[in-house]
Amino acid sequence: MEMMKLSLGPLLYYWSREDTLAFYGEAAGWPVDIIYLGETVCSRRHLIRVQDWLDLAATLADTGKEVVLSSQTLIESESDLKMLRKLVGQGRFKVEANEFGAVRLCAEAKLPFVAGPTLNVYNPETLAMLSESGAVRWVPPVEMPRDMIAAMPVPENVETEVFAYGRLPLAFSARCFTARHYNLQKDDCQFKCLEHPDGLTLRTREAQDFLTLNGIQTQSGKVHSLAHRYADLDGSKVDVLRLSPQLRHMGRVVEVFRQLADGALNAKDAPGRLDRLIPGQPYDGY
Amino acid sequence: MLPEPLLELICPAGSLPALKAAVDHGADGVYLGLKDNTNARNFSGLNFDEKSLAEGIRYAQAKGRKVLMALNTYPQPATLSRWHAAVDKATELGVDAVILADPGLMAYANRTHPDLRLHLSVQGSATSYEAVNFYRERFGIRRAVLPRVLSLPQVENVIRNTEAEIELFGFGGLCVMVEGRCLLSSYACGDSPNTFGACSPGHAVRWQQTDKGMETRLNGILIDRYADNEKAGYPTLCKGRFEVQGDTYYALEEPTSLNTLEMLPEMHRLGVAAIKIEGRQRSPAYVAQVTQVWRAAIDAVKKSAATFAVQPAWHAQLDKISEGSMHTLGAYYRPWK
Amino acid sequence: MRLPNFPQPLARVLRRLPALPASASLVALLNLVAWKSLKDLDWAPLRGRRFCVHLRDTGLRAYFSVSRHGFVTEVNEQADVTFTATTEDFARLALRVDDPDTLFFNRRLLIEGNTDLGLRVKNMLDAVELETVMQHLPAALSRVVANVRLKAQQREIAGAH
Repeated sequence: MEMMKLSLGPLLYYWSREDTLAFYGEAAGWPVDIIYLGETVCSRRHLIRVQDWLDLAATLADTGKEVVLSSQTLIESESDLKMLRKLVGQGRFKVEANEFGAVRLCAEAKLPFVAGPTLNVYNPETLAMLSESGAVRWVPPVEMPRDMIAAMPVPENVETEVFAYGRLPLAFSARCFTARHYNLQKDDCQFKCLEHPDGLTLRTREAQDFLTLNGIQTQSGKVHSLAHRYADLDGSKVDVLRLSPQLRHMGRVVEVFRQLADGALNAKDAPGRLDRLIPGQPYDGY
Repeated sequence: MLPEPLLELICPAGSLPALKAAVDHGADGVYLGLKDNTNARNFSGLNFDEKSLAEGIRYAQAKGRKVLMALNTYPQPATLSRWHAAVDKATELGVDAVILADPGLMAYANRTHPDLRLHLSVQGSATSYEAVNFYRERFGIRRAVLPRVLSLPQVENVIRNTEAEIELFGFGGLCVMVEGRCLLSSYACGDSPNTFGACSPGHAVRWQQTDKGMETRLNGILIDRYADNEKAGYPTLCKGRFEVQGDTYYALEEPTSLNTLEMLPEMHRLGVAAIKIEGRQRSPAYVAQVTQVWRAAIDAVKKSAATFAVQPAWHAQLDKISEGSMHTLGAYYRPWK
Repeated sequence: MRLPNFPQPLARVLRRLPALPASASLVALLNLVAWKSLKDLDWAPLRGRRFCVHLRDTGLRAYFSVSRHGFVTEVNEQADVTFTATTEDFARLALRVDDPDTLFFNRRLLIEGNTDLGLRVKNMLDAVELETVMQHLPAALSRVVANVRLKAQQREIAGAH
């Protein structure tokens, strides 16, 4: 079996410029093989601009990381498309296509791309079509159960990457729920997301933590962790584990997964190691 | 060649009586699905089998109306043949178009039935002309149904930059999330629209009258609790009341319905090909009433867009049957976002 | 908004059955007026399931299941799913004047217990054409029902204006 690769998924939250740059400064030294960069959630988040992401990409690539630029998931306006074209037009790095407009542009530019989790690839015909269009890796929808991923015929030159750690991105909307919480309109949101670097917790009326609001994105309340089921990955066709950024302790989370992948840590000991690093309840649902 | 007639009225049918109600009250087309997870309204007892489908097609086409069949869920490896068989059946029975979301299924349709007209479902989540044109170039889709996330100027930008016809939702239940990109139901109960074909499926929903009010639960998770005088919404997570930082409110969306009657002149001007009415899960009584109002409104706007005015009676009739008995313009009106 | 007078033939049927328990009366009535038009539905998935119709205004609860030959009273008064509404609202549903979702939003219809079962029944009944029901009603009753329905619909339209 080939060595399991680790990736650092795109940053889903909105952090200050200093925090973001410091995070990636540290990430350069973490034992991850692939780093996804870019704003996938909201076009109003502007502290790191496309050009900043491109500069960061070059810096991280120089440290030997594979860098992929992630595209925005919900494209609404012409300026969203302009950013997308800039992302695809750079020509050096792969792009993670998170909607089919990005697929079209990548295919046109003959740029190899990663088929992101929101492309809804549930069957071999769709995956084969994407592979022919230039996809070199696919990320199954986060709801796709292990058995279904295992049953999927994957083209030879396509890698499989699964969402392995972090709050699950579950839904996208035109509406910003963080702004709504503050009775603000999206166009005048005062960038409230900055105050919630790990999202806003939504509880049921019975005080059960249920979901996490992150701007226009809704995430799971619990933190998904495949480390808690790592033994199940043995013999699976998964090539890459995606770890989704959190503000604190991310380097130590990466370390736990690295040791698991290298066989240096027994799977049953992983939950104990992650206990104090997880910002919430662990979840191993799908 | 004459241009396609604009502003077609496309109405929902979850049963043969609903289909007939739509046709009899002036729908230009009806959309429907089979009794399984090949479409996104997979509720027990709803939808069509081969016999009722054949009769429905006969009934509609005899009156010059169209039948569009929704096959808008995502086929999965083990059951791919079910979706293929459904495309074959749709072609054999002579539907006017199939509404698809999955590119793999479009490839199958192109390969097997090159003359079958394809529409891109709202579940395909195409919100830009780049995405719509992807499906158009690869699979020759003739029409795309846009998710309920764009403002009207954004819709206009899509229309100006694609040859595909554009269909918009005009009325009915409002998904606050981008269609095809919502796994809330899946997270709560294991079944999502993408694969199972329903959000909040009946088997996971429980309604219970308690001392504190009527409770709605999805797989045990409390979605909302209604006092006796409060109107109820569908048991979907996006319409529930939750607590965020000490405030309990409709954190995602109130139980409301989309109603865009007042935007009809603008939709007409933009060249919107069709208006879709949501509600295949609703009864024939609903279909009859909504179709009646929208037929009158579309006829009025086509006759004279400049003098078009929404009749108060139209709103009254629609509000009565709406979720939450309130209506919204949704994302078409930018401040909603 | 009230329906016009309760159809006399229905009332007569009800009066004929005063000695029987509530469930049995309602089940007998259902068999008389509805079974013929419903018997061809796919009842197989509902075999053995127990239903309760709860009339909110009268407090009457009818428990029954569905057999090959018609509706059968459930003597031990237990149900997998319970429908609660007023007599008039049930009548409005049966006449297709209102749709169930509208009544549900307005808290006039409650489905408790096995929701999937409840929705299945609702959807199955929706798929029955009203003409079929009318054809199978006793002739006198059929005329009354058509008349009641027409009047109720006219009131709806008048009410909306």
